[in-house]
Amino acid sequence: MSSILSSIDVMLQDGFMYAILAMGYYVSYTILDFPDLTVEGTVLSGGVAFGLLVRAGVNPWLALVVSFLVGFAFGALTGFLHVKLGIRPLLCGILVSTALISINLVITVVGMGGTWAGDGALSTIELGRSVPTLLRTFPANLLPTDFYGFNVQRLVTFFFIALVCKFLLDAYLKTKNGLLLRAAGSNSQYVTMLAKDQRVCKVLGLAIGNGYAAVSGALIVQSRGNVNQGMGIGMVVIGLASLIIGLSLFGKVRFMKSTTAVILGSVIYQACLGLATLLGVPSAYNKIIMAVLFTLALVGSSALKKGAEKNA
Amino acid sequence: MLELENISVTFNKGTPDESLLFDNFNLKVDEGEFVSVIGSNGSGKTTMLNLICGSLAPDSGRILFDGKDITKMSEFRRAKRIGRVFQDTKVGTCADLTILENMALADNKNKIFGLSRGVNPKRVDYYRTLLEECEMGLENRLHTHVGSLSGGQRQALALVIANMTDLDMLILDEHTAALDPKSSETVMHLTDKFVHKSKITSLMVTHNLRFAIEYGTRLIMMHEGKCIVDIRGEEKKNACVDDLLNIFNKISIEVGNNV
Repeated sequence: MSSILSSIDVMLQDGFMYAILAMGYYVSYTILDFPDLTVEGTVLSGGVAFGLLVRAGVNPWLALVVSFLVGFAFGALTGFLHVKLGIRPLLCGILVSTALISINLVITVVGMGGTWAGDGALSTIELGRSVPTLLRTFPANLLPTDFYGFNVQRLVTFFFIALVCKFLLDAYLKTKNGLLLRAAGSNSQYVTMLAKDQRVCKVLGLAIGNGYAAVSGALIVQSRGNVNQGMGIGMVVIGLASLIIGLSLFGKVRFMKSTTAVILGSVIYQACLGLATLLGVPSAYNKIIMAVLFTLALVGSSALKKGAEKNA
Repeated sequence: MLELENISVTFNKGTPDESLLFDNFNLKVDEGEFVSVIGSNGSGKTTMLNLICGSLAPDSGRILFDGKDITKMSEFRRAKRIGRVFQDTKVGTCADLTILENMALADNKNKIFGLSRGVNPKRVDYYRTLLEECEMGLENRLHTHVGSLSGGQRQALALVIANMTDLDMLILDEHTAALDPKSSETVMHLTDKFVHKSKITSLMVTHNLRFAIEYGTRLIMMHEGKCIVDIRGEEKKNACVDDLLNIFNKISIEVGNNV
């Protein structure tokens, strides 16, 4: 019984954590129609920035904001490669995320006391017991860590951060600038006719998407207690699958914002993964399950769309 | 107002398909003119509009707007003063946004797109009055996504939107061509109403000879990158569809003979 409760705890926590990544994809993939592979690198960059800063004693909430900015900058770089140099979307993401493998590694090593040549220190960052992480500082530390098997402290904190990200994105999309971003995704010629440079909108959208991916990465580090150079792998699938599950199941529900649908999609996706573990599937098969779930989500969303067209 | 000076345009330069469309092309449009442009496919009508709007750069020559050289100015900067309605009804509006959001964006044209509220509720009544002029009931469907409107409604909306800003020039790029006869009549009527009201300098490319004769103050027929007919005033008033058709036929025979 307690193992079921603790898996529900992990499902929810992971759901909120990856929901932020999926919301980033909502901007780059759903709004701008840009299949952005940069996140494989920016999730880790966000984690590295957060891990190093928190370890150095910086306020973890501030570190969270910094990791957003780091992701924002690299997302903007992807956008720049696309709009200025005319490189295709998929290739831009591959280029930046490949470069980030080195950048993240070197920054980690240097941050841990190594050299710029990339050696002399570990390539992992451990957040030991004495490090003032998000949960060990005010206000999260006021919450109980154990409540009928639920880690309320972690759950509430992650939920709160996901909600803040959701409301900020909703609010932004309602502003003049946000409206222009949506217009750029829908019909870039329209933005040109409004005498605005649609390329700027695209760069900004990708920057926001990767900023969110980096915040998600920071929470992954917070949750696992360490930074691992391989933690970015598989993020494209997690983010897109959560997004597509959310939008295809709840996208048509009235009075529900797309961002809410995306959070629910992320929780459902993590619940499916958690269920597989509960049923005894070895963790080595995790990525296969992820890919299968993603395939199901894609097929399901196009089947739902066809159904809706027939009904219309 | 607008001058095209010695414009040359070659397509597919350096390939076996190289073709010279414009060779020292010249055109002058005066302030307040409403020019109808007709011509067969490939005669250079749309290319001319693309040159004016900046989606295509000439190989040589200058484009002057209000006496200022805009040849090197980017398309989005020119859009500050030049509005455009396209043949494709999907281009003039955003399908994924509501009518209200589309209009709110247009309302903010040439201003800063900052972090203030996107749709100003105080302006909604003004948007309604604008839409009422279309007489299509759009004023009651402000929250409808534009993607679910018909082609005629979208084109009417695109016209309203293009006219929301104080422009110096309006470019109409076969904007009734994709519509059914009834809608194209309605949209053309609307166009005339807008142009008359704002006295805006306009350039309209059309395949509809009757529209070209009935509307506008000047008529140009293009053929192989040249203006072969350029009439205005009384002369234009006296022109009829048959005259234009005759010229069209003559051209086709010439082209046929050449082949």
